[in-house]
Amino acid sequence: MASVSPEKTRWMRGPSTPLRGALLGLLLERPGHGGDLANRLAARLGETWRVDTNDVYRLLEQLETTGLAASRDEPKRANNRRTHLVYYPTGETPEALTLWMETLLPREPVRLGLQAKLSVARHEDAPRLLIALKAYERECLVLAQIVCPNDGDARSWAALCMECTRDAVYAQLQTEVDWAARTRRRINEFLENSN
Amino acid sequence: MTPLLSFVNVSKRYPDGGRELLVLDRVSLEIEAGCSIGVYGARGSGKSTLLRLAAGIALPDSGAVCFAGRDTTRMTAGERSRLLRGAIAFMSAEDWRANPGESVVDHVATSLGSEGLTMREARRRALRVLDEVGVGASGAQAPVASLSLTSRTRVMLARALARAPRLLVLDEPASMPNLGDRDRFYTLLRSAARERNIALLVASEEMAALQGVGVLMSIADGELCSTEEPGTLLQLPSRRRAAREQSG
Repeated sequence: MASVSPEKTRWMRGPSTPLRGALLGLLLERPGHGGDLANRLAARLGETWRVDTNDVYRLLEQLETTGLAASRDEPKRANNRRTHLVYYPTGETPEALTLWMETLLPREPVRLGLQAKLSVARHEDAPRLLIALKAYERECLVLAQIVCPNDGDARSWAALCMECTRDAVYAQLQTEVDWAARTRRRINEFLENSN
Repeated sequence: MTPLLSFVNVSKRYPDGGRELLVLDRVSLEIEAGCSIGVYGARGSGKSTLLRLAAGIALPDSGAVCFAGRDTTRMTAGERSRLLRGAIAFMSAEDWRANPGESVVDHVATSLGSEGLTMREARRRALRVLDEVGVGASGAQAPVASLSLTSRTRVMLARALARAPRLLVLDEPASMPNLGDRDRFYTLLRSAARERNIALLVASEEMAALQGVGVLMSIADGELCSTEEPGTLLQLPSRRRAAREQSG
């Protein structure tokens, strides 16, 4: 990735970055009010994310502050006399989404960031996703490699517990590596078939 | 320094109906003597193909596989076979073949036929290696037909180590019902390789089985993903530290 001014990536800080990025993707697909965007986000990411509507409103306000979203009061469809804030993308939103797609987050403990990117990725984001998936696969391998190996002699209860904990780490990382490889394969197959 | 084993843009395809399945796609890697590498991959990912190419059992469609600087693709079948009986040992739990009537010690000793040893010398060496892998004197005299899966794996390892290889290639070596036995086997394997300065190339469907390796790789869709940058010489951690200190 070419060097990018820190101003343009400031919004990518903190644990809510995947949700902010996914909201940008949804806004580019079509504008919406907070409740609508929260529902679309939950539908896209699945129940394991537990998307909170209040969080979505807060994140949309943050995106508006940074100039990546804009809102205006519009009448509700069901009741013309009442209004709600509808959020729109700005001229900066597409570039911000692209930057997020190609930003490799260091030490992502689980796949949340990548999953959020996949949920709103555009066709042209495919190369960025492939790079991010490969980087994630490598990161998981690095994490697996630094797990202290057992000495093959789990005779005490404490050693057994240690071994089971170690096994849990390997099981999770193995699943992540499998998922990243499978996702790369799906994207590559799609690209091959669409050419 | 010449790496012990190197893959340079190695590709391998298999026929799949009317099409061709690309199992390895321009894979490059280098392994230094004494280094240990674990290759993780799901079934059918190409890890067995990678190992069979490393051992000289199979040949690539393109690219070069070099052992100690010699391109195995340019060797005759006889030269590759001698390599596999000498400097390279290949072990796979699925490849267990033994005369059910022979004793464990004879099973190991007969693998030393190409070393120019008398049977008595071969048995002596076999007994020593069997002892090192945890098969005692009484176990060594037992018929191979009586071996449990766990003991069989240790005997296979003894057979591989007895020839003092420089590279040990293991494809899913420890299919054992008992997890503790499996862990002990891998601990034994790592220490045996370390003590003898043997390079290890181990593949498994279980990442946990590859713990303690110097470099961990995954393979999928013909591509390798490695904890080391591609194309770099894989070094022992101590040498890596020394190199860092030198450059610092």
